Amino acid sequence: MPTTTNYGWTTPADTDLVKDGASAIRTLGTSIDTTTKNLNPSTTLGDIEYRSSTANTNTRLGIGSTGQVLTVSGGVPAWSTPSASAMTLITSGSLTGSAVDLTSISGYNDLQLVLRDFYPNSTSTSLRLRLNADSGANYSTSLYRTTATSIDNSSGTNQISFNDGATQQSNSNTNAHLVINFYDYANTTSKKVFPSYYVYNSSITVGAVNSYNVTGAITQINLACNSGNFGGGTYRLYGIK
Amino acid sequence: MAKLKLTKTIIDCETGEQIKREFTQDEYAQYEADQAAQLLRETEIAAKAAEKQALLDRLGITADEAKLLLG
Repeated sequence: MPTTTNYGWTTPADTDLVKDGASAIRTLGTSIDTTTKNLNPSTTLGDIEYRSSTANTNTRLGIGSTGQVLTVSGGVPAWSTPSASAMTLITSGSLTGSAVDLTSISGYNDLQLVLRDFYPNSTSTSLRLRLNADSGANYSTSLYRTTATSIDNSSGTNQISFNDGATQQSNSNTNAHLVINFYDYANTTSKKVFPSYYVYNSSITVGAVNSYNVTGAITQINLACNSGNFGGGTYRLYGIK
Repeated sequence: MAKLKLTKTIIDCETGEQIKREFTQDEYAQYEADQAAQLLRETEIAAKAAEKQALLDRLGITADEAKLLLG
């Protein structure tokens, strides 16, 4: 019996009897049907196929879950859930009122707080930070402010002020930005260090090294204006694992 | 003079719940203490600046010239 070149389907020979034609066509059709199904085993919306180790036979790979990506596992395609991104946006919002407390912040190795476009409602005040609602003399800071080439330091203060008091933030300048990195904030055996980078009044930049001189975990971040209310601005708190 | 009404927003980062409320009496007291401390600090900074300027005036040099001397 002759066969086709690629799939080896049996076809009638030239000398076969006409009366056997129906049977020969049926045999060929069955072979085509079987091969087609082997090459296209999909059953469900989103299925894909890949070649198996058996010739002319594909393997069905069902659709993955939302967010999964196609990868290779054991030499064949497979759906995989990508690992979580390094930084997760925990919360974000507007700076309103006189104080904003960020609570229930556990579950990460480090935190990054970003404040954008913030300004006080009343003129000449300073943004200040406390941790764990602690107003004790447990904070230290040393900062460098560019415009006046000033260096300031303090220890045993009851808050962190993000400028040195010589030039307060204007309430008409709305483009202040602040980034603070809280490293290893949940550890309960050592004091906490958190550098900050602050730009305000258009051109004054302040770099500071701050510390919270207690060994307990930081469980909340307390932001406030030293005087009056926030005029505006936003906060974004990221968690890093 | 009417007391400025101050509010605090508390954000629970796990649940997303936000509570906005007026300062408690303790928080108002802390706020006033913070303001007094800030005023004291600003006064000290201003006094230090005035003292520095008085010294420069006595020496008859500018701040930039003083930096040059110390640099």
